Amino acid sequence: MPKEIFMPKLSSTMQVGTLLEWFKEEGETVEVGEPLFEIMTDKINIEVEAYEEGVLLKRYVSEDEEVPVNYVIGYIGEANEAVPDSSPGVSDADAEPADEVKPAGQEENAAPKKQESGEKVRATPAARKVAKDEGLSLLEIEGSGPRGRVQKADVEARGEQGEKVKATPLARKVAAEKGLNLQEVTGTGSNGKIYTADLDTVASANHEASTSEPKRVKLSGTRKMIAKRMAESAFTAPHVTLTSEVDMTASMEVRKQLLPLIEQQTGKRLSYTEIIAKAVAHSLVRHPEINVSLDGDDVVYHEDAHIGIAVSIPGGLVVPVVNRANHKGLGALTEEAKHLATAARAGKLSPDAMRGGTFTISNLGMYAVDVFTPIINQPESAILGVGRIQEKAVGINGQIELRPMMSLSLSFDHRVIDGAPAAAFLTELKQVLENPYQLLT
Amino acid sequence: MRELTYLEAVREAMSQEMRTNEDVFILGEDIGVYGGAFGVTRGMIEEFGPERIRNTPISEAAISGTAIGAALTGMRPILELQFSDFITIAMDNMVNQAAKLRYMYGGEGKVPMVLRTPAGSGTGAAAQHSQSLEAWMTHIPGLKVVQPSTAYDAKGLLKAAMDDDNPVVFYEHKLCYRTKSEVPEEAYSIPLGKADIKKEGKDVTIVATAMMVHKSLEAAEQLESEGISVEVVDPRTLVPLDEETIVESVKKTGRLIVVHEAVKRGGFGGEIASMIAESEAFDYLDAPIKRLGGKAVPIPYNPELEKAAVPQVQDIVEAVKDTLKGL
Repeated sequence: MPKEIFMPKLSSTMQVGTLLEWFKEEGETVEVGEPLFEIMTDKINIEVEAYEEGVLLKRYVSEDEEVPVNYVIGYIGEANEAVPDSSPGVSDADAEPADEVKPAGQEENAAPKKQESGEKVRATPAARKVAKDEGLSLLEIEGSGPRGRVQKADVEARGEQGEKVKATPLARKVAAEKGLNLQEVTGTGSNGKIYTADLDTVASANHEASTSEPKRVKLSGTRKMIAKRMAESAFTAPHVTLTSEVDMTASMEVRKQLLPLIEQQTGKRLSYTEIIAKAVAHSLVRHPEINVSLDGDDVVYHEDAHIGIAVSIPGGLVVPVVNRANHKGLGALTEEAKHLATAARAGKLSPDAMRGGTFTISNLGMYAVDVFTPIINQPESAILGVGRIQEKAVGINGQIELRPMMSLSLSFDHRVIDGAPAAAFLTELKQVLENPYQLLT
Repeated sequence: MRELTYLEAVREAMSQEMRTNEDVFILGEDIGVYGGAFGVTRGMIEEFGPERIRNTPISEAAISGTAIGAALTGMRPILELQFSDFITIAMDNMVNQAAKLRYMYGGEGKVPMVLRTPAGSGTGAAAQHSQSLEAWMTHIPGLKVVQPSTAYDAKGLLKAAMDDDNPVVFYEHKLCYRTKSEVPEEAYSIPLGKADIKKEGKDVTIVATAMMVHKSLEAAEQLESEGISVEVVDPRTLVPLDEETIVESVKKTGRLIVVHEAVKRGGFGGEIASMIAESEAFDYLDAPIKRLGGKAVPIPYNPELEKAAVPQVQDIVEAVKDTLKGL
């Protein structure tokens, strides 16, 4: 019996996954524990290992295709074992009734249906001939025959939808060879009949256009997910951003003193990000109205500060979470944050490592960025943007002094947090960073 | 015009030919006074005498060997085998001698003979007397194979077979013997290799042979009442085969069902299906080609089982509907 390969459910909230890459071809032998394919969930790419040994008999899902959890994406079994031509869909055993998501083109009983590009079109010879004569693409035609086979009547029905194109037989032949759509060609003959020469103008116009066309890459994978989530956040949560400048003199001093100590303890170098994270965790506990998230109509107050730290990775951005950061010292915090960042850059973050954050820090201090307005990482209600540290002339006790100043930007969701508590939190944070020794209390 | 049975039409064709051509004679088992196993030659011995209506010993090998020898000497023999199943006993003569000699003699010798024989099931004659083995014969270069379905065709095709200078195997279906159609009194010839469209239609082509022509026509009539238009093509001769008529019909309807009584596996239906797949009609196919043939079993004696072993009208009706669904 061939064994089904499912889209795994890697978190309690995961409903769909995108198949990024197959590591095995159909017909290849697979050992238990060997990486079989890579998928992307909410915000993570993960390699999935084979849990059966045998031969990869079938792959139903192509790369970059999104399918629901528990959807049968392939089969492992003995060589030449019979498997269905198309995926049986979501396995009944574990399917969640709420999961209504179905991959494109896989609707049950959805005949007639269009056939996916790339897959060979099932069509009768007569349908092929008529489509060719009419300059129609079989890919565009819904087949009414068994298993979606395109029949002559389907092509004719399609042909009648559009105005029938007048063209010479040679023009039709050349158009079919060059993949040109006759519907888009203007004929110069009587009643607009298309001659072969008319195709050349279109072909050359296409060619000229293509030389100056910008490169287009379809939104997919992590990028697609980020696009979706950022848009959702920006369009649903009314963002207000407060900014404040922090004098980092004392924090720099703390870092200077603790850096060799922590490096000795953990082998990791303490950075400002960790100091800021520690200060944020410290302040969040004192301002529980900021450490909240919105769940439907409920505001959820979090006891501990689980700090997400945004990490830039090739092609996107991920936010691993340091859990219970308020209970961790700078050493432990540094060790954990560095470990998560390394894993993120290597693409090896587990989904768990990105779950459960209550507040996010996005630090662009390594760039020439002073102030920016970060977008909240929903369902959290606030995010802190960190700019660079730069010496600025500030007035202190009637004197102008050069101090290492850093901008903090606090974006918050005005649906659940008002300006005053947000300002109070930011004030406290500034005060902690300017007097970091209180973190030792 | 007067109507004749298929059996009478065959007899009339032979009698007319024998009156005009003295080289023609008939040989076979019990064909004289008895009139042959099915009565085809009944009464002929009175007119033509025992010299020309020759009873033979019970040996198909001897009958066929004699016929081939006589043909080589310039006679035009017609041999009758009581049941087409017995052609197996004449096989060496038919396959290795009759089919080859004209070629091997460089055209200097000819074998103008007709082997007539009743074929097919439906008479309760059981496994050794009910087979349809025509596909065997079509495989042998040098033999022509004829399968008339109507009295009119039988008379005209037999005339053409008798006029041919090559050996012709002429299959007469037992159940066709009693069917009637209008048959002209004068002698006429239907060229070998010319199919007949027994019924015109536009939705699906049925190519049927022998008794299956009648069953297909009955099925077509049923289907017509349901608004399905069936074209029934009778090739009449398998070798030579009128490919053009079949191709044109399939180009018109886009769908093809081949129906024969012979076992489907290895049957002539496969040849027609392949011919269409190789022809320009391929581009016009709008459904898979379907073959209906006998089951791969010896023909049973039990009448109900005998019916179940070969295609019946209802099978053809269902096949047409399936084909229209693209199945």
